[in-house]
Amino acid sequence: MAIKIKSQQDWWAGWMFIAFGVFFIVVAMGTPEFINKIFGGAKLIPGYQLGSSVRMGPAYFPVVLGGMLAVLGLLVLFDSIVEEGPKVAKFHFRPLLFIAVSSLAFAYLLKPLGLALASVILVFISAYGGHEFKIKEVAIMSVVLVIFSVLVFVKGLSLPFPVCPSFIEICPIR
Amino acid sequence: MEGMFGNLAIGFAEVFKLQAVTVAGIAMTLPFNILMCLIGCLLGTLIGVLPGIGPVATIAMLLPVTFNLSPIAALIMLAGIYYGAQYGGSTTAILVNLPGESSSVVTCLDGYQMARRGRAGPALATAAIGSFFAGTVATLVVAMFAPPLAEVALKFGPAEYFSLMVLGLVAAVVLAHGSLIKAIAMVILGLLLGLVGTDVNSGVLRFAFGLSELADGIGFVTVAMGMFGICEIIANLEQKEKREVFTSKVGKLMPGKEDFKRMVAPILRGTVLGSCLGILPGGGALLASFGAYTLEKKVSKYSHEFGKGAIEGVAAPESANNAGAQTSFIPLLTLGIPSNAVMALMIGAMMIQGIAPGPQVMTERPQLFWGMIASMWVGNLMLVILNLPLIGMWIKLLTVPYRYLYPSILLFMAIGVFSISNQPFDCFLMACFGLLGYVCVKLGCEPAPMILGFILGPLMEENLRRAMLLSRGDPWVFVSPSKPISMGFLIAAVALLVIIALPALRKKRQEVFVEET
Amino acid sequence: MRRLLAFAVLTALAGAAWPQAWPSKPLRLVVPYAAGGPIDISARLLASRLQEPLGQPVVVENRPGAGGNIGVDLIAKGPADGYALVMSAIATLAINPSLYPSLPYDPLKDLRHVTLLVQVPNVLIVANDVPATSVRELIELARARPGKLDFGSGSTGSTGHLAGEMFKMMTGTYMVHIPYKGSAPALADLMAGRVQLMFDNLASALPSVKSEKVRALAVTTQTRSGFLPQLPTLEESGLKGFDMTTWWGVSAAAKTPQPVVDRLSAEILKAMDAPDFRERLRAMGSEPPAIRTPDQFAAFVAAELKTYTELVKRSGAKAD
Repeated sequence: MAIKIKSQQDWWAGWMFIAFGVFFIVVAMGTPEFINKIFGGAKLIPGYQLGSSVRMGPAYFPVVLGGMLAVLGLLVLFDSIVEEGPKVAKFHFRPLLFIAVSSLAFAYLLKPLGLALASVILVFISAYGGHEFKIKEVAIMSVVLVIFSVLVFVKGLSLPFPVCPSFIEICPIR
Repeated sequence: MEGMFGNLAIGFAEVFKLQAVTVAGIAMTLPFNILMCLIGCLLGTLIGVLPGIGPVATIAMLLPVTFNLSPIAALIMLAGIYYGAQYGGSTTAILVNLPGESSSVVTCLDGYQMARRGRAGPALATAAIGSFFAGTVATLVVAMFAPPLAEVALKFGPAEYFSLMVLGLVAAVVLAHGSLIKAIAMVILGLLLGLVGTDVNSGVLRFAFGLSELADGIGFVTVAMGMFGICEIIANLEQKEKREVFTSKVGKLMPGKEDFKRMVAPILRGTVLGSCLGILPGGGALLASFGAYTLEKKVSKYSHEFGKGAIEGVAAPESANNAGAQTSFIPLLTLGIPSNAVMALMIGAMMIQGIAPGPQVMTERPQLFWGMIASMWVGNLMLVILNLPLIGMWIKLLTVPYRYLYPSILLFMAIGVFSISNQPFDCFLMACFGLLGYVCVKLGCEPAPMILGFILGPLMEENLRRAMLLSRGDPWVFVSPSKPISMGFLIAAVALLVIIALPALRKKRQEVFVEET
Repeated sequence: MRRLLAFAVLTALAGAAWPQAWPSKPLRLVVPYAAGGPIDISARLLASRLQEPLGQPVVVENRPGAGGNIGVDLIAKGPADGYALVMSAIATLAINPSLYPSLPYDPLKDLRHVTLLVQVPNVLIVANDVPATSVRELIELARARPGKLDFGSGSTGSTGHLAGEMFKMMTGTYMVHIPYKGSAPALADLMAGRVQLMFDNLASALPSVKSEKVRALAVTTQTRSGFLPQLPTLEESGLKGFDMTTWWGVSAAAKTPQPVVDRLSAEILKAMDAPDFRERLRAMGSEPPAIRTPDQFAAFVAAELKTYTELVKRSGAKAD
């Protein structure tokens, strides 16, 4: 018997909540013995002490909350079968990917390449993820932003960011 | 009464007094303290507007500078940075949906929607006016009632805090305008995510999977930038037609007559709530801002507009958080106890200057005490004078095509988040939360309740466990007659839950009836 | 043309290979706690003082987490070139090794201790409604009400916590430990009477003692404090051998070259000896420490480590 999902959003939301709830419970309590045995006896995920309601251990609150979350997830699942709800709108991966990659690139390239280059990279990648991409515009924008950032963040607020790449020994700006 | 005016006179005299200073080798007489206030406010506004950089980091960096200043000048400047950041944080919350401070999260909800509909001007003006009014009233409250209010603050033990937070979280559910169950689930998810990090009571590192970067937990800024900032940018970019995010039909700069009429009551209510809750160390101002929002949503006859750009949704929380910011000085000035990280830095600044913060500051150094209070009002005045004309500039900024705006916003966010501990990991977390926020929005779950749960979660657990430790495991301590405050909050929480659930239940019952007939 | 190229390459190589006098670039002083605490503030004070004599800025970086272990480990495992320093404290050097089940660094082998900056005594303070005006009365009270008294501390494993454990062991009493996030909230609960006693460091307790919001009974050091000379020491009150201070200083990676360590030590001591710097440290309750040289500091650390390892083991306290 196929279950007719009346609300796609609620269906997936319910599963998401259940997944999070179970995740927190398992990490807090540790993997149960029968799973450990499958993997050779060693505790796959060591949990934290549960304690009692009198002396709550570090696992107590997370387990209770995780349980509540999982139960609510079940309720939402139930709702998704019973009540009409909106469909999940299409996922657009392009902007997601470009924005995420641009910020990650910036973060991991800041120390080796310096603020100036990392900012330019971020601006280019994120601009590429948008609707329009005119190279000249983006280039001008990145230069303006670099100048602004160096003045405000490095000079003004004295944030300890390297401005020039690490392979250039003597930096004109410091 | 006359005593208070006399004291305020001392304070204002101290703030405005002319001093002989040498600036760049030129000796002159300046009202130096006022100048420090102005510098503080300007700097504070700047860092409040820049996403990711907050007053704590800035004040910490400026501490060595204050060593060479007189105590009152140093404290005035640092205080100026603190509430300047509040004003600036509201600006980014309204313009780009990025909460500068945790207490600006609620302003994002309606403020940003107002900006998108071309009403950024009235939103910003409302925030500034509401903040100024609240700041003025709160300053008077501090001046008149500081010592008795401090005593009230002391009455709040772990049980009272826990119950207050339960009430606060129930109120957080009201923030959402969608499904009730999903909102509660998001709050709980936020609570759980807030538990990542070192557990206060036992010292155990939880949910960190050996990552030392998570040892101090996930920062608020990281989550806020991810779920509000990144998520919003992605959502805007995925529109198929190239539509401008902010309507080019830029409205008026100032609120209209209708707006003014509507903002009066919320500002008053917000001020009262903020002044009361701000004195509680640890989360008072935050609870005040979203308590005020919840109150307005329940009380206002325009409650259907909330979440789409209701002016009350900006006026109330802004007044509340500014009032809370002023009254959070009370535990510092009267008991020497910091209400938040910024106050802790102020204590440090005072100690370096050789002033022991505590009750005796009021009697032993009246100029310092009353000068600080006077400077709080002067600072608010400066900020409202600064911010109102700036509104024109901000509105112009919003007319810039979105394809220029969003890379800039993204760059500032990345810089801000990176500067938290100078590591790329925080940006990675921000991207993760951006993804989580995106998924949640697609699934009809709202980020605002989650982020409030995130902030309050660890505080709740800490207080719950401490209350249980102190009561030796008696769970009835929260509703015991010896703790009327705690019992009161819990009863209010249950009542609020019923009020929230009732319309939803009634609707379900009606649907059942319709189906049956 | 080729000669020009060769010349350019040689100069570049020479620039990279020629050992430049230390310090030739900014230094990094890691504070393994959140901004605003006493350690952070004294670090910023020191950093601003060292800029001039060293000719390079000293940048303070906050890296909180795991009771300070994260920040210390960062420096211990980092390059030993003299450009990375850390504010090490009693917690990270003497207490955490036995408190935490495993520590990523060895406080004696992985670090070179440069200078001890601050030594602050702790004070035994009780709430005003506690019927004890001397240590003796407090001990009697604790014996009469086992398990009924609560003592607060700034965190699990802090000197306040361990001082309480030591007190319990030496007096044979049983009191419940209530950890807080920092001494300020603990002090607040003490003032309200929700906890009965606390061992807090002098600087943070002094204002409350002076304004009579709490009552001070004794100091934890062997000698009386200049700030509260009427307070007996715990040793005088019958707890023989009780000697605890909260201390912190500057450390670097173990293999840092000796000339760098010597120069650092000399400059830091010079800064500390300046009268206004000394005043500011005194405002935090610290008298200038008698321990001056890196070797003295290292010996001190070793001794403290031994004492606290013993104490933690016997009291059964652990971060778990």
